[in-house]
Amino acid sequence: MAVYKRTYKGYAGPLTHPATRFLVLQRYAFRSVFKSRMLLMAYMACFIPCILVICVLYLNQNATVLALIQQKAGFIKVNGQFFINFLGFQSVLAGVLTAFIAPTLIAPDLTNGALGMYMSRPFSRAEYLLGKGAVIAFLTGAITMLPTGLMFLVQSMLMGWNWMLSNFYLANGSFFSCAILILVLTLLGLAMSALVRWRIVAGALILAVFAIGKGFAAMIDSIMRTHNGDYIDLQILLTKVSTDLFQVPAPIYDEIPVVGAWIALLAICGFLLWILNRKLRVCEVAR
Amino acid sequence: MTAPHIELEDLRVTLGKREILRGLNLQLRGLTVGLLGPNGAGKSTLISTLLGFWTPSAGTARVMGLDVRTQAREIRALIGYMPENDCFIANMSAISFVRLGAELSGLPPDQALERAHEALFYVGLGEARYRKLGAFSLGMKQMAKLATAIVHGPKVLILDEPTNGLDPQARTRMIKLIQEMRALGTMHIVICSHLLRDIEETCEEAVILKAGQIVHYSNLEEERASNRRFVEMETEGDDGTFADAIGKLGCVCSVTAGKIRTVLPEGIEIRDIYRLAADRDIQLRRLNYKRDSLEDIFLKAMDAKEVPVGRL
Repeated sequence: MAVYKRTYKGYAGPLTHPATRFLVLQRYAFRSVFKSRMLLMAYMACFIPCILVICVLYLNQNATVLALIQQKAGFIKVNGQFFINFLGFQSVLAGVLTAFIAPTLIAPDLTNGALGMYMSRPFSRAEYLLGKGAVIAFLTGAITMLPTGLMFLVQSMLMGWNWMLSNFYLANGSFFSCAILILVLTLLGLAMSALVRWRIVAGALILAVFAIGKGFAAMIDSIMRTHNGDYIDLQILLTKVSTDLFQVPAPIYDEIPVVGAWIALLAICGFLLWILNRKLRVCEVAR
Repeated sequence: MTAPHIELEDLRVTLGKREILRGLNLQLRGLTVGLLGPNGAGKSTLISTLLGFWTPSAGTARVMGLDVRTQAREIRALIGYMPENDCFIANMSAISFVRLGAELSGLPPDQALERAHEALFYVGLGEARYRKLGAFSLGMKQMAKLATAIVHGPKVLILDEPTNGLDPQARTRMIKLIQEMRALGTMHIVICSHLLRDIEETCEEAVILKAGQIVHYSNLEEERASNRRFVEMETEGDDGTFADAIGKLGCVCSVTAGKIRTVLPEGIEIRDIYRLAADRDIQLRRLNYKRDSLEDIFLKAMDAKEVPVGRL
């Protein structure tokens, strides 16, 4: 029977597994994000540095190229510093990408009161966050974690098993540095979008957090004559933990310990989760 | 007797420092239940509590036998909720939005799409289903919300002010849809409304809340049935003895402003009145059953100083 001729009836068909329901939200969010061709093109452009770097890694071990430039051991040194430089550049792209994408995920739901629709279903706030956050995590992960992992694999293939084993800390560093970066960006993007609700302002706020944090950190440092302000500077904290993971020998931000940087990052993540918990509610108590 | 679909036992909900719901006791069994009360009576809080948005500070609430404290997720799988306020994503088409709702309730994508089409046609938005929700009129948005609420085939449908802001035509359409769904008998419908006429036209039971307490419970079906025998007539050609004749049948009768009002006792039917009028060659120009309107019941409940608390 044609759909328009049917009357209302109950549903007794199969149901999807509750644990996979957050993927529904993720699917719809991806569709909405990539509706914009400009954004899609910009996102594709984020992969260009990765392709270039992999080409460089290949050329760095290519005998013909090395013969042409009359070098024996390659024209660049592939070590922690090389990885951290690449990751630093990709992190900036990931930050900008988050500022564009995150507000489109949560702000429209809050503006139009759509949370009531989500939460009146067998669907929790945690699943909502997981569904929306997974979009940011996946997109930023694809331009940070994936390229660094690929770089490590390509270099391992070119240099051999021994290089891979002796430099495994690079894979380790890539994974954990990217993981904490993705976590911070995801929570920051979601929390700022939930806090402001206005897309453009939320996007600006996400970028501003890095600048404001830096400004406040500098202010605290100069007024208090300490380096405790560094604990609220996201860029310093992320660089500190990354340099440690990539075993970069040159001392950087030596004023704060690595453990302190990790604790500060986790505390910031906790604070962002607290904001989300406060703001993502269907009903609020009017005081 | 059927099991109650909503059961409240000394339900108390405190928000901030204020107790909003103060010891509600109730068992609802009817297919359509109206939730009435002035602003701030606690209607929305009660609905939010049933949906698991608020946790009871004391007492229990059960929906289809499931506890709202521990089985909120299972309850939400059985409930379709149409909120009072705007609840949509403006840049989404109606079909995508309703499908999203169905998928979040657990329907597989292809089934969800089919059901979304069906639901939108059912509520009369079939031709507008590919339009963005942001471009919908208020009436269309209400219908889209209803489609989202029923798309997954809920067992309990909660409608919060379903006719809010609707023009008379759209209101009639909404009321008709609710009556149709009631007639199907596949789901229990709870309607929260300020409009007594809506409740009167659609509900079997009415619960009136005031200051977080239940001040009146009314089985509208029973009231309709019990008051059916209250008859009001206007006659032509009566020489003043018709009322006496009716009285002789055993009816309590009164005449005011040319109208005869009577309560028919057991064993006396309307056809006896017709027969009596025919015997006396009296024309019955108007005859109707009159009963207490819900408005009367509501006003009486609002005037009640003492708030009775107890099992209904």
